[in-house]
Amino acid sequence: MRDFITVSKLNEYLNQLINSDEFLVDFWLMGEISGLKLYQQSGHMYFTLKDEETSISCVMFKSRNRSLEFKPEDGMEVLARGYVSIYARQGKYQFYVEQIHPYGQGGLFLYLEKLKKKLQKAGCFDLDKKKSLPGMVNKVGIVTSQDGAALRDILRVLRQRHPDVEIILVHSSVQGVDAPGEIAQGIRLLNQQGYVDVIIIGRGGGSFEDLMAFNSEEVVLAINDSVIPVISAVGHEVDISLADLAADLRAATPTQAAQMAVPDILSLQKEIVMYQQRLIKAVDRHLAYYNETLDHLMMEKVWQEPHLMIEKQEEFLQDLQKNLARGISNIIKEKGTRFAFNLAKLDSLSPVKILQRGYAVIRKDDKIVRDEANITQGDYLKVSLENADLGVVVRDKEKIIRWEI
Amino acid sequence: MKFEDALKRLEDIVEQLESGELELEESIKVFEEGIRLAVFCQQELKKADGKIQQLLKNLDGELELVDFEESV
Repeated sequence: MRDFITVSKLNEYLNQLINSDEFLVDFWLMGEISGLKLYQQSGHMYFTLKDEETSISCVMFKSRNRSLEFKPEDGMEVLARGYVSIYARQGKYQFYVEQIHPYGQGGLFLYLEKLKKKLQKAGCFDLDKKKSLPGMVNKVGIVTSQDGAALRDILRVLRQRHPDVEIILVHSSVQGVDAPGEIAQGIRLLNQQGYVDVIIIGRGGGSFEDLMAFNSEEVVLAINDSVIPVISAVGHEVDISLADLAADLRAATPTQAAQMAVPDILSLQKEIVMYQQRLIKAVDRHLAYYNETLDHLMMEKVWQEPHLMIEKQEEFLQDLQKNLARGISNIIKEKGTRFAFNLAKLDSLSPVKILQRGYAVIRKDDKIVRDEANITQGDYLKVSLENADLGVVVRDKEKIIRWEI
Repeated sequence: MKFEDALKRLEDIVEQLESGELELEESIKVFEEGIRLAVFCQQELKKADGKIQQLLKNLDGELELVDFEESV
């Protein structure tokens, strides 16, 4: 039988070996975080630190990560202080983190740039997805710390502008490890409840690390998923966070966020009253115009002295009659002239006129005789002069020819 | 109807009426609508009741509203 030891013994032995090493009990380690998990129940944080070639498992217990100014995220380059020890249950050595910092400001910026690009690509900052605020906001949701100055500023300004505004607050941490999760949760709870018209998220100013929660992917995604418009107000004017980029509206400060969220009720009320007055004035003017037109119409002489109208008509009628009479007499006159002319002509053709000139008409058996052939010697003829008829007997007859012109 | 739509319509109506281009019958109709809109807008302004509440998730995971006491 060979000598052997148990697994427990081996782990214990290695642990002692490591723990007695002067370097391994307290040193700074540089690497990039990946696979970070924050366990809700225990509050412990597990992740891997890696460089190009290798990696090591890391643990940061709740008691240590409570004091973090921001939540470490995958992809961050960090400097971590801690010690190495054996996790006997799995027989693996781990790095136990006491403290963690971004690897210089540059590291954090670089991380943010990468995250920003990724979220941008995912469409989280698309301008055409931005929702506009409803014109009238009566219910405002706020996600921030219930103890922060930001909340007091927001409440004061909201009440100033809209005294009756209803406010629903969801408390969240605004910095530290839990902040991203709590802010995101706050936004989701308000959406789940679906009561408020607009959501304000934000906090007052602070260090770059303090504001990191508003640069987290969790918060950006929650803003993106929100069907209620979100106003983001983080820190001071100069600070622009990823939450600001994702929000539907970005306010420079919490005070400004409150101004954006609700209309100034007094000025709105004045506006409506002003419209009402203009409405009444306009319709009054309209009616006055029609009244005046009507007055003008009624003032026309016709309405005042209707008999004038009749007299005018009578006058007209008389004129017509006169014209008619004149017309007829003219016609008659003209016709008379022609009649006289024709009468004269008729007169000149009358046989009486011929008899007056010395001619006579000769009849035989009441027929006018024109041809010598109808007369023989001894015939009884009747000769008519202008003023007498004579009975004559034919004694001679001689044929002659007379020339006519 | 949304408040902002009502306000916008009210504004349009006032301008239309002021332009004097409407016929009498039409202007009376439009005027009545304008007055209704103004009343609606006034009512919309009075809809809130000024409460401040805090939204919590209780142990059963259900949402709960409690009155919020401001720390001064």
